[in-house]
Amino acid sequence: MGLQMFVNALLLGGLYALMGIGFSLQWGISGIINLSYGAMVLLGSYLSLIIFNMFHIDPFISMLFTGALLFLLGAFIYRFALQPLLKGGIVFTLIVTFAIRLIVENIILLVWSADYRTIRVSYAGSNFQFLGAFFPLTKFLTFLVAGVIIYLTYQFMTNTKIGKGIQAVALDKEGAMAVGVDDQKMYLINFALGTALGGVTGTLWATIYSFSPHVMDVIIGRVFIIAILGGLGNIWGAAAGGILLAFVETSGAIFVGSHWQEAIGLVIMVLVLLLRPHGLIGKKFFG
Amino acid sequence: MADNDIILDVRSISKHFGALKAVDKVSFQARKGEIVGLIGPNGAGKTTITNLVTGELRKTEGEVYFKGINVSRMQPFQIARIGLTRTYQVVKPLQGMTVEENILVGSLFGRSDRQNDLNHAKKTAHEIMELVGLDKKKEFKVSDVTLPDLKRMEFARVLAMDPEVIFLDEVMAGLNPSEVEESMELVKNIRTEKQLTIVYIEHIMKAVMGISDRIIVLHHGQKICEGSPTEVCDNPAVIEAYLGKKYAKEVIKS
Amino acid sequence: MVTQDDNKFNKNIILIIAAVIIFIFLPNFISGYYIRIFTAIFMYATISQCINLMSGYMGYLPFGHVMFFGIGAYMSAILMKLGLPVFIAIPMACLSAIIVSIILGFPVLRLRGHYFAIATIGMNGAIMTVVQNATEITGGARGTTFPIIMASPDVVYRYFYLAMLFLMVITSLVMYVVVNSKFGYGIRSIKANEDAANSMGINTTFTKVTTWAIAALFTSIAGGIYGYWMSFIAPDEVFDLMFITNSIIMMLIGGAGTILGPIFGAFIVETVSEVAWSGFMQYHLAALGIATIVIVFFVPRGVIGTITDKIRNRRIELSKKAEVTNG
Repeated sequence: MGLQMFVNALLLGGLYALMGIGFSLQWGISGIINLSYGAMVLLGSYLSLIIFNMFHIDPFISMLFTGALLFLLGAFIYRFALQPLLKGGIVFTLIVTFAIRLIVENIILLVWSADYRTIRVSYAGSNFQFLGAFFPLTKFLTFLVAGVIIYLTYQFMTNTKIGKGIQAVALDKEGAMAVGVDDQKMYLINFALGTALGGVTGTLWATIYSFSPHVMDVIIGRVFIIAILGGLGNIWGAAAGGILLAFVETSGAIFVGSHWQEAIGLVIMVLVLLLRPHGLIGKKFFG
Repeated sequence: MADNDIILDVRSISKHFGALKAVDKVSFQARKGEIVGLIGPNGAGKTTITNLVTGELRKTEGEVYFKGINVSRMQPFQIARIGLTRTYQVVKPLQGMTVEENILVGSLFGRSDRQNDLNHAKKTAHEIMELVGLDKKKEFKVSDVTLPDLKRMEFARVLAMDPEVIFLDEVMAGLNPSEVEESMELVKNIRTEKQLTIVYIEHIMKAVMGISDRIIVLHHGQKICEGSPTEVCDNPAVIEAYLGKKYAKEVIKS
Repeated sequence: MVTQDDNKFNKNIILIIAAVIIFIFLPNFISGYYIRIFTAIFMYATISQCINLMSGYMGYLPFGHVMFFGIGAYMSAILMKLGLPVFIAIPMACLSAIIVSIILGFPVLRLRGHYFAIATIGMNGAIMTVVQNATEITGGARGTTFPIIMASPDVVYRYFYLAMLFLMVITSLVMYVVVNSKFGYGIRSIKANEDAANSMGINTTFTKVTTWAIAALFTSIAGGIYGYWMSFIAPDEVFDLMFITNSIIMMLIGGAGTILGPIFGAFIVETVSEVAWSGFMQYHLAALGIATIVIVFFVPRGVIGTITDKIRNRRIELSKKAEVTNG
């Protein structure tokens, strides 16, 4: 693999990693397969678009706002649309998240139509060279930001009271409840965090690529694979999964033809499910 | 012990979870028609042994012979179909189905060498329901049924399977004293009527001592004693592990 | 002795036969547009029955189940291109779908819940990609055609209307027989408590694989008929997960775990969709989404499920009262 291709894959990997973590947390810890995740990511994109067009605020700054807003939206959705249905099994929550995706898709179509959009910042075309490879500035910034956010998320999970509470319910719900942790509150915060990460991903995505409602399906397809590769609910696992997928896609496109690259990702995902359901990187818990 | 009387022969079974030996080379036998009590403190391995015998948990080592057949590698459903069954400590009712349907599933799928098409199975299920006293509640969904009745239903379900050996796993848990009495009577009567062999796993001393022909004591996954109820109560290792002198003497007196 | 239950059963049979007869002659009275809508309803009802069998009765949601629809469509197209008549091509396509379901079923049905659902999505995607790339055989991403039927549109519409109607009726009948048989109790026990089912003597692996094969059987026939009806199919169309999400919504609205549920659900959802599409086209996605959420929250057992529950509860109440007065 040439250096440039390596760099491309790596930069893409950062974005995928951030994107996958949100979905993986929601599925692995809160137990929700969030079919509206792609829609949440896109909301981040479109919201940053408005903010950029109306207030000329750079997306790398407005992402803080979209992140916060989508955190609140995620909390609202979990509390009122998902929490009441938890005892119904996966069908109900799955369909409700799908219904939410339909509603969000409709809103996006009404406001922005199906046209492809993008956020063209002033420095969009610039890049710099390093060791003979080109680093597009927006992709590089995205990679850095993704890295920082992933690190901060990890710190949150391991070094704050709430984060530790979330880890606790993920590992041993009864034990955590026995020491006074409110499990539903933890699932809610975790879910909202996932949505927030998705929203930030959307903003970053918007600086690099164009987007339209169609992209929702592309995103959902990717995050499924990333989450399973890395083991559900595992931050570093999902990060590694994201990078791995980016490499598979980038090299697959060159070596095997872009049609097959999707199949490769899917086949890997199915194999992982069958052979190592706890992910390539995740840990096995003794039952 | 006459060899052709032995219906269940557990030979040195073990279960290791990594370094933890949950069950450590446990052997015991049961004769046809016996009630064998299996006691021991929490975590001694009683339920694990049950799971190992029925195939629900894979053995690290050891063999199990049932009616002379080696069932060590068989799947749980195959073992159930030849007459080796169990109930669950924490009841596992078939959710979303009625009491009648729960018991019907037992008669449909239990022992395979009998007529268990839908019609015959329904008749069997009704007989068992009456035997156990649940026929008035047959249309109730299990979510509307009290715990004592759920336990009775699970017992009925396993009876409907036409078993030869039943592992009754803490079937008294959660019952008040009069319910315990009732339950003990039911088990004794049915054992005699249907010539069952029962491995009776229990905590409640009064229940086990009063009903068992023989007792096996477990501690930390190992068998530490085996014998009649009185022999077991006098055994110092058992007393030390579990009974407590005062209470043991009390039970022997009664 | 004729019991009260027997009388009710006979009454229901007569109603159903009457409904089927009405539907058979309905095309004589409605325009081609409505004939096509009903055809789609019958097709969705069929797929929904299959999803219902797997999810509503057995508790395994095969989100990627559309793969059998696509296999049915594509195998039929390929076989018909080779010269086979439709009455042989579609059954053979169906057979291939069954074989696939059995081969994939053994490994994949070991997974539970979410993992099973996602694995089926992965498999569907992989199969779709294979179809997209095996251009020589399948025509690739641009799709493939079926032989044109030499007849007037009116005749053609009725032909497929009746085909889908009979498919729906036969599928529903088979589901009814299966679910009420001894095997059906095995299926339901798996959903109720799979571990307990195993320990009661149910061969859960065999039950799961067979059930999925039944579901694949009818779904693949629906795919074959659909392809012939459309006379043109493309991979991203016949392997589209939307078929399944629609079917799931229909199953929930009509009533999961009932036999009439998917049929009613298909009628209700298609009607609402049509009304939303023609009345508020811009809002039809949101309308479907909101309607789904409302149903899931307020009528979780679906229309038929709620009715069935009410009837059963009334019967228990009455028997309780009888016990009090007699006992």
